[in-house]
Amino acid sequence: MRAPRLISVSCIAAAVAAAPALAEPQRLPVLVPITGFLALEGTSQRNGALLALKTAPGLAAAEVQDTAAAPETAVNAFEKALSAGPVPAVVAPMLGTQMLALLPLAAERKVPLVTVSGTAQLTEMGNPYVFRFFPGDAVVKAAHARYVVEELKARRPAVIYQTTAYGQSGRQMLADAFNRLGATVAFEEGVAPAVKDYRPVLAKALEARPDALVLHLHAGPTALLIRQAAGMTGVPRIVAGSAMHQPATAALLEPAELKGVCAETGSSPISGGSKDIEDWTALYRKEFAAEPDAFALGQYDGAMMVLAALKSGARTPAAVRDYLATRTHRGLAMSYRSDGKGNMAHDALIVCFDGKDRTPRIVKRYSAPAG
Amino acid sequence: MSALQLAADGLALGAAYALVAAGFVLALNASRAVNFAHGDTVMAGGFLSVALAGVLPVPGIALLPLVLGLMALFGVALAAVAYFPLRGRPPVAVFVSTIAAGIVLQNAATAWFGAAPRAGPPLVGGGAIELGFAVLPRQSAAMIAAAGLVYLGLRTLLTRTQTGRRLRAAAQDPGMAEALGIPVAAMTAISFAIAAALAGAAGLLLSNSFFVTPAEGGNFMLKAYIAAAIGGWGRLHGAALGALMIGVFETAVAAAFWQIWAEALLYTALLLILLFRPSGLFGEAAGTRA
Repeated sequence: MRAPRLISVSCIAAAVAAAPALAEPQRLPVLVPITGFLALEGTSQRNGALLALKTAPGLAAAEVQDTAAAPETAVNAFEKALSAGPVPAVVAPMLGTQMLALLPLAAERKVPLVTVSGTAQLTEMGNPYVFRFFPGDAVVKAAHARYVVEELKARRPAVIYQTTAYGQSGRQMLADAFNRLGATVAFEEGVAPAVKDYRPVLAKALEARPDALVLHLHAGPTALLIRQAAGMTGVPRIVAGSAMHQPATAALLEPAELKGVCAETGSSPISGGSKDIEDWTALYRKEFAAEPDAFALGQYDGAMMVLAALKSGARTPAAVRDYLATRTHRGLAMSYRSDGKGNMAHDALIVCFDGKDRTPRIVKRYSAPAG
Repeated sequence: MSALQLAADGLALGAAYALVAAGFVLALNASRAVNFAHGDTVMAGGFLSVALAGVLPVPGIALLPLVLGLMALFGVALAAVAYFPLRGRPPVAVFVSTIAAGIVLQNAATAWFGAAPRAGPPLVGGGAIELGFAVLPRQSAAMIAAAGLVYLGLRTLLTRTQTGRRLRAAAQDPGMAEALGIPVAAMTAISFAIAAALAGAAGLLLSNSFFVTPAEGGNFMLKAYIAAAIGGWGRLHGAALGALMIGVFETAVAAAFWQIWAEALLYTALLLILLFRPSGLFGEAAGTRA
């Protein structure tokens, strides 16, 4: 197992700041959903990008626009950003449906999109202008299933997933991974995000006598299900999706309710693991008075790679795209390199809560877990 | 987990929905137009509870009177901004203004509290009540009891007080009420106040067990709308009963079949009710549909 190679925040900042100054900072549009149902994750994405750009004020300046939750809002924001003049790249929303709307525009205008969207389809459409700095479902769901089968020795997991596009895609990845690992899914059911009472589905899952409960839900539903499961007996180990690693999700639950709960994620900055991550986390807390999550760190690393491209002399979107497509970037969370489709992140973590506090511990690291 | 226990859970959720639906119908009858900000008012009540719990670390049940009072004031403000300036215009004007007010509320909550879900104060202590044949979480039991008390208070106000009689008269026939010297505008403002207070109470009841997020008002609005359609458009008790039925129905269907079918079957049941009982299970009270 290879641990991510990390370089210090201060080193990155110093290196970028030492770059030859351009006549004027380049405009870098940051188009993210900071209102609407994905506002929590979108705010993290924005904060990560802003923190990166703050390290190099002479190189690039952020122009933040809210893309809310509709594809057309993202398209309007993109058009507005590009109508004001050339940009080297765009920090693009993590909402999959918005990204799908932006992909043809990015190809038409030949502008690279740097995102942390997890939607698998984005990098399967042959679009050379998308770069994803967050491990896609193919990576994290493989790690998710491997931890359940190889570490917890579960053979009959129950899977509860969201009925959204995010949930359906993750469910398929999990089913494929469990099948490859020789495990039999004892129970699976989709749940709409608006559902408040998870006890019926939990009761049915427990009737199937699973040896692990695998969740692939959004943040609020994950917390709701875990709280309701904590009040029931006979619940096996819970291994949740990446929503559970988010500090805002853990904040909804008491430490005792979290005991033994694990989650997959691309990274978990608050879990520490190195001085560089701890320094970055402290900086983030100071800057935004909030706890960072994997989306913030992924977008930070993505924006830092764009800055590294500018520093290397890339001045046009085409040059930045070529840099992103061909170079390796040692970020804080992991090393990033395109697989030829724009998937830059290939590592995943499993974190678990010990019931004493709301900070998860890293228990397993996976590098390219899908092989 | 016994069927009775699942039913109790569904009833707890339905009890909170009943307050939402009752408030929705009160404002509907007073204004003769749908208040599309009502779901976001529930959300506002939830966040108000979160904020109050940060200042006053007491059980949620102790905060209930304060939430009712503050949300009543909020209801008057909402009526002043989104209803009274458009009174007398076609109902669509009020639809649009209340939709706008809801969006403002949603974005204000995101700006002040952040986008993350938040947990409100528990109504009472944790744990469960052992009934022998079932185990009922204290929160669920407290939700049912608190919602029942608030609803009883509403019923007493409407049927046993002069203000209640005036409220009903102004809602049933504003012209006649005006001619009889009843201040219809003031009664409408009071109706909005009570509606917001009920929504706020529901927000408090739901905020601990089910959390609160800025974007969830639409879901509450939909539940209230369906409850009103099931119970009979404009029927206060019908809407409350419809909401209780929604809570129990969703839980029962989710337990018996797939969770995903619960919502689909709910809408199918609604369509059947509208097909065979177009005026709802208890008949329409309001003269016009909005």
